[in-house]
Amino acid sequence: MSLAAGPGRAGTISDQLPDELRLVVDKHVSYIQSLDTRRDELEYHLTEHLRISGIYWGLTALHLLHHPSALPREGIVAFVLSCLHPNDGFGAAPGHDAHMLYTVSAVQILAMTDGFAELEDSVPNGKRKVAEYIAGLQQPNGTFAGDDWGETDTRFLYGALNALSLLNMLPSQRPNEPPLIDIKAATDHVKSCLNHDGGFGVSPGAESHAGQIFTCLGALSITGELDSFLGESGKDRLGAWLSERQLDDSGGFNGRPMKLVDVCYSWWVGSSLAMIGKLDWIDRERLKGFILRCQDAEEGGMADRPGDMVDVFHTCFGVAGLSLLGCEGVGAVDAA
Amino acid sequence: MSHGIPRSTTTSHDNKSEAAKAKERKQIENYKALEKDVTERIQAQDFTNPTFQLTSTLLAQNPEYYTIWNHRRLLLQHVFAQELASNNGPPSNTTSQEPAHDASTTTTTTPPSNTQKKDTTLSPAQREISLLINEDLTFLLPLLKQYPKCYWIWNHRSWLLSRTSRHLPASASLTFWQAELSLIGKMLALDSRNFHGWGYRRIVVQEIERLSSRGEEEGGGSMVEAEFEYTTKMIHTNLSNFSAWHYRGTLIPRLLSSRAASSSARQDFFDDELALITQALYTDPYDQSLWFYHQFLMSTLDASNPQAGVILDPVDDGVRRRYLEQELESVREMVEGAEDCKYVYQALLEYARRLREVGGTVGREEMRGWLRELRGLDPLREGRWMDLEGKLGL
Ligand SMILES: [Zn+2]
Repeated sequence: MSLAAGPGRAGTISDQLPDELRLVVDKHVSYIQSLDTRRDELEYHLTEHLRISGIYWGLTALHLLHHPSALPREGIVAFVLSCLHPNDGFGAAPGHDAHMLYTVSAVQILAMTDGFAELEDSVPNGKRKVAEYIAGLQQPNGTFAGDDWGETDTRFLYGALNALSLLNMLPSQRPNEPPLIDIKAATDHVKSCLNHDGGFGVSPGAESHAGQIFTCLGALSITGELDSFLGESGKDRLGAWLSERQLDDSGGFNGRPMKLVDVCYSWWVGSSLAMIGKLDWIDRERLKGFILRCQDAEEGGMADRPGDMVDVFHTCFGVAGLSLLGCEGVGAVDAA
Repeated sequence: MSHGIPRSTTTSHDNKSEAAKAKERKQIENYKALEKDVTERIQAQDFTNPTFQLTSTLLAQNPEYYTIWNHRRLLLQHVFAQELASNNGPPSNTTSQEPAHDASTTTTTTPPSNTQKKDTTLSPAQREISLLINEDLTFLLPLLKQYPKCYWIWNHRSWLLSRTSRHLPASASLTFWQAELSLIGKMLALDSRNFHGWGYRRIVVQEIERLSSRGEEEGGGSMVEAEFEYTTKMIHTNLSNFSAWHYRGTLIPRLLSSRAASSSARQDFFDDELALITQALYTDPYDQSLWFYHQFLMSTLDASNPQAGVILDPVDDGVRRRYLEQELESVREMVEGAEDCKYVYQALLEYARRLREVGGTVGREEMRGWLRELRGLDPLREGRWMDLEGKLGL
């Protein structure tokens, strides 16, 4: 699947009136289907280091758009398995090194396509081995590294918990076996990234950021501590911070104060609000209008902003945002 | 992912001219051939200079290609290990007591200016490693300028710097880290919100503190005063500097504890910071970054906030009441001339709520008035204001 931008471009604000905007489901489906046919473009090859995530984004959008079979299942599962590295992690494409981000994408795709049996067929005890690769990246302070080179990030921590949960390998899912990871240390690390403004940063002391808030809430939600840790006043502070991300001129969300809006934050901010029960603190209709204006109504796909080039990442998170808000033609989604 | 790539006049691939398509085919061929060459060399453990140069060419074309960065590090690691294992290598213990080596016998290239001074304390192997790291840092500079948001470039820089801590004596490593700090200063002057830049700055400062505190009194290497000074400078350059205000806030608790500030010194400090931000707010009440810092200062009075900044110490309800009343009064005065500024009303309602919680009084009518204004100005968040109305019992 190509992650190359375009070919289409999202509409501009003045193109159409918001109430005339409709989700062009069929065009998005054929846009996603067309992505792997663009091997004659340089951009296709320059984005190979994201390939497996691209498939995950495309597949997620298709599932939400009720076209889960629009990409050939056999081909996808075979591709995912071809990305498995000798160290039991997954790379972004065959021959690429293993990394947490792509291992998480691989596990998510296998979960979506019911492909764990094929993993077990091709590697005996494959689920367990992949879980051990992930667990092996946990650091003594609870956080997770992206790969053997050691860089840590709350994105990796959330990804690890998410993938382990899909593999059914979290300590809570296997109460009678020795735990693969130190869940308390992981949770403590997430908690240490909380800021006075109610948000979370990428590491202790780092500025609050919507993407990091999503990953930290997701992690707390997997470990079942979201409500007890934040409490009412914590949720109020965080809800206030998140709701301020909606901007009046476009109705879209930004990821930090005084930054540009971007359709992918419809998901990071929107699902975070949903996880703390405050999705009513923003104007859903205005957000929906913004997301729909990011569509390329002729060729399918969504862009970060109206007027920019479309790509599969923003298509996925735009559609996921619509799903959160309730939109005709889009299935429901689980916030975390 | 493409962020902020504007719609261009170039059309989609199908509409490209035959010549353009042929050119693109050629580019793809070259790129794939280069990729194949690098991959095969690494697989064959060909850790030579030509391989290294090929990774440079490939990464300059595609700095997001993380596997190639990994290859580059494998290669460097291999060279470092070879240097250290060779006869010229130092014993891994005390490097500072090493006899001085004659630079001319081993150094063929010009030593970088930032390591020249310390050169005599390095063994030949260390000098070679230092040169290689310095060259690689230089290679990254134009890439970093072109792709300031590329995670993998920052990642690689941080790895290179960590190698200086591992392989070089503290004084030589420190020179590298300090040069890095000044580079980050320049980058943040160009883009004061660069997320990687601020995160990286914290790592660099921590490492400088660790290296320079070796053998000194505890806290001897602390840079908290200098970093606080840095945020003051950033803020004076541009008041609307969200990330600098944030960083300033995170430094304050450490600053005060390193000064062993007494309760009254803490109060003086708090008063000064409040005066600074109030002055700024009077100039521009529409600036979110200023309100952000005001809220940070006021968090020291908020017992329900687990991440409240530790500034005043001790804090009791009497202190809370006094400051909340003072700040409410000051924000009330900001309304005039900024009647359409929602942040003013948000602050009034928030501080009024907290004042009431610690036994102070604010008129219900006045609060209703603020809420009415807020709702008129900010209909997007009507759901939030409805909840607030209920919570405040208005
Ligand atoms: Zn985006």
